[in-house]
Amino acid sequence: MFEFLFKYPGAVFQKGQFVLLAPWPLWMLAAGVLAVGGLLLWHVFRYRGALTGGRPLVIWLLETAMIALVLLLLWHPAISIATLRPQQNVVAVMVDDSRSMAIQEGSQTRSAQAVGVLDRKLLAALGQKFQVRLYRFGKEAERIQKTGQLKASEPASRIGDSLQQVMAESATLPLGAVVLLSDGADNAGGIGLDTISQIRRRHIPVHTIGFGRAKPERDIEITDAVLPTHALADSRLSALVTFRQYGFAGQKALLAVRSAGKLLASREVQLKSDGAQQSEPLLFNAGLAGPQTLEISVDPLPGEENRVNNSVRRLVNMESRKPRILYMEGEPRWEFKFIRRAAEDDRSLQLASMLRTTQNKIYYQGFADAHPPDDGFPAKPEDLFAYDGLIIGSVEANYFTQTQQDLIREFANRRGGGILFLGGRFALAEGGYLHSPLAELLPVRLPESKGTFHRDFAGQELTAQGRASLICRLVEDPERNAARWTSMPQLANYNEVGEVKPGAVELMKVTPAGHHATPLLVTENYGRGRTAVFATSGSWRWKMWQDHSDVTHATFWQQLMRYLVSDSPGRVSGSTPRPVLADETRLTIRAEVRDKSFKPVSNAVVEAHIVTPDGAPTSLELTPVAAEEGAYTAEWNAEKPGSYVAEIVAGRDKEELGRDVVVFRREDGVAENFHTAQNRELLEKLASETGGRYYSASDAGKLADEISYSEAGITTRETKDLWDMPVVFLLALLLRGSEWVLRRRWGVV
Amino acid sequence: MRRRLFIRGSFVALSVTALFALQATFRQFPGIEDDPYPVPPDAYEKTEWAFTRLMYPSGRHASVFGEIGSWPTDYPKADRQFVQGVRRLTRIHTRSSEQVVDLDADEVFNWPWLYAVEVGHWSLTDAECAKMREYLLRGGFFMCDDFHGSGEWNVFLESIQRVFPDRPILEIDNQDPIFHVLYNLGQRVQVPGIQYWYTGRIWEKDGKTPHWRAIYDDAGRVMVAICFNQDNGDAWEWSDHPRYPERYTSQAYRMGINYIIYAMTH
Repeated sequence: MFEFLFKYPGAVFQKGQFVLLAPWPLWMLAAGVLAVGGLLLWHVFRYRGALTGGRPLVIWLLETAMIALVLLLLWHPAISIATLRPQQNVVAVMVDDSRSMAIQEGSQTRSAQAVGVLDRKLLAALGQKFQVRLYRFGKEAERIQKTGQLKASEPASRIGDSLQQVMAESATLPLGAVVLLSDGADNAGGIGLDTISQIRRRHIPVHTIGFGRAKPERDIEITDAVLPTHALADSRLSALVTFRQYGFAGQKALLAVRSAGKLLASREVQLKSDGAQQSEPLLFNAGLAGPQTLEISVDPLPGEENRVNNSVRRLVNMESRKPRILYMEGEPRWEFKFIRRAAEDDRSLQLASMLRTTQNKIYYQGFADAHPPDDGFPAKPEDLFAYDGLIIGSVEANYFTQTQQDLIREFANRRGGGILFLGGRFALAEGGYLHSPLAELLPVRLPESKGTFHRDFAGQELTAQGRASLICRLVEDPERNAARWTSMPQLANYNEVGEVKPGAVELMKVTPAGHHATPLLVTENYGRGRTAVFATSGSWRWKMWQDHSDVTHATFWQQLMRYLVSDSPGRVSGSTPRPVLADETRLTIRAEVRDKSFKPVSNAVVEAHIVTPDGAPTSLELTPVAAEEGAYTAEWNAEKPGSYVAEIVAGRDKEELGRDVVVFRREDGVAENFHTAQNRELLEKLASETGGRYYSASDAGKLADEISYSEAGITTRETKDLWDMPVVFLLALLLRGSEWVLRRRWGVV
Repeated sequence: MRRRLFIRGSFVALSVTALFALQATFRQFPGIEDDPYPVPPDAYEKTEWAFTRLMYPSGRHASVFGEIGSWPTDYPKADRQFVQGVRRLTRIHTRSSEQVVDLDADEVFNWPWLYAVEVGHWSLTDAECAKMREYLLRGGFFMCDDFHGSGEWNVFLESIQRVFPDRPILEIDNQDPIFHVLYNLGQRVQVPGIQYWYTGRIWEKDGKTPHWRAIYDDAGRVMVAICFNQDNGDAWEWSDHPRYPERYTSQAYRMGINYIIYAMTH
């Protein structure tokens, strides 16, 4: 229809340049239109006869538009466009040959549909005008001679890499355009800006032909599962599972996490509307130390088309380390005893405590493997930074020397440790923290006034963030969990702590009878570490007022202490940006190396000892990163699919500085089973950003005509007249016809 | 009779309070030795710790104590003199007055340190035994004192073995932290009651050998600290009297403080 009305394909108007071929200047056209318009205005109003109201104006507009159209045609409008010279240019036809193209849709696979499009008309039509180079591509492009060589068997498709490869191969050829036939299932997660820039620099349009349904009929697909890459052994973890479904809206499905086939946790979820992204948290205990491969799945429902995309695997390194927490307490109190008991019940934590029993005596506990400090609280970085977490109880701020206060700040900021400030009669505002350097560490703005510590019983309730927090999770169901907290025994006391600082997260409020609720548990990130306030010393009533078998108190405190230390880095901290290589092989291993004072070490020897999935050991050296002190990195190829464990060891001279373990996993064929609906968005974007056009399989026949309009390759510039477009005559007819009809209706003919 | 009614009324009052899970405040009960005794001006202060005295029934073991039973022995002077030492010698936020609790209500769960005297004359009901067991398993600490000889030991066993039928009573090892948490009490002496003034003996009945015994929880922590054949209560009560030897008072204070700090740290 478009071509009938406008005489040329849409691509001509998209890519061409509008020109006026008459020798007269443009201003004369504008002046002519204005002059004629003015004359007509005078004429219409002078001889308006029975025309009343706005009717003369309508007649004037229609007549002026008609005259303007005639004048425009006198100026000879045309389109100037570059076209590829016949038989002098090359067109690359790239066909996606990955496994997702083998998906059956209707009576044919996507690959068969593509072959049909090519063989029926497209290749022949292109061959009449251009030299055609046919490629198949998966991870990389490979030139083929005929469509019969397509097998739809490649384990992955990388459109960007393959395009770059074809561009490189044809660098010396007059490549006029690329035709890409695909379902858009790209394993790299998109096409890089570098690739797009390279194509645009050469002005090569990439025309895309999409295959595959826009959406499946009956399918549930997990699109992502976010988990920490490491955690302390026996930790409660939260997986945020994102999925979408088609055809099962409103039904219930079972969300589950398994390790080596053993069910760790499951939860029934109600499925949202078709195509809507749904995110659900799933809590579980990942168990003992060691790398754990976790399978997160939505159990298949009857009639699902694709069950492979119902599960994903994630690797979590359950660390065997036992982080150490130093607890400084300024006075004997019940909270101290019950916190200690909670820590003792946790095999993954070590709590060393210092308690001021009298004015001049400190009682040390939990220093079995290390000597207690000689002079009370540590005053050297290497002594304090040996701990992963710090709890400060009912201790006045000025009990700490200036050096110690600076160290405490650096404990979170530089060392990356977690600090918890407890309530109490010498704590927080009562302990003079407001006017000490430690105030900066607190996630709350303390009140100026004293008398903020109240030995009155008070309840507690979760905030919205608290409902989502692992620290406060006692039972998995969020609603039941929130109800559990409100029905807990009351706290024995509480501190008023003022306002929550911007950026801090308030997890729990204390709700004293007859008074406003105030923050109870607040956390925030500080520097490389984190800080928290728990504004009470009365949570021991959660233990004394519940059955002795109840573990609520211990569970809460263990989760709070694990929050403090689970992300505290060691002196050597390894990482990789993508712990799951989905159909990829290349990864970066990175390490940060610090000394005992946690200052960056730039002259270390850093090695990664990698154990591959088949158990073979291999090593590689990490090299310093320029302009980033203490950082080391290495690129590596994961040759085989499976789980890898890399132990990173750093040393200086003959001293070992530390070691860390990084786990990652290579999975093949992942993307071919996921996002199996046509990724039309990607194909359209690729086409539009390179000056090409997206075609569906049904209108791919037009491509052969439109592909000629390209700035790349060997071109010639054509000028195409516009005055004889049918739409022009239709417009003229419409203008005159409208005036006639109106005049008839108004009785002024 | 009036006294018994008063005690029963007090039980009811305490129980009703406990129903609302509100911490009971100080309440003065009639004593049997030091009645009346002046109430300190800050007796109602809210503190972290208070000397919590168990009000228990003596039943058929009341003996010379009569209907009121043996629980208020040394009360309240011993309690109030001892807490002055706790205040002066430690950083524990301590109330000047004692707290009397029974095992018929839940108020005891607000006081994780509990003291009972003359437990050679106690007679807990089954319900009280169950309450004490639950209290101890939740993390409470019980110190009992001032009972002597094999007869009173057997009376003590009658009740405590219904609290913990399956847990042995053991001698506390000298190396146990309870003897070292604040004061090193590896060397101890027998602390006599004031009968020492009249008899010159530091022992009573056939209890010539002092014992520091305990019942432990599954983690090896002392739940019940048993001061047998000794009378720390009298040593606290008569610490201000020139006739009572300082060395006994000194050990009794140190022992009591160690037991409190142990209870607050283990």
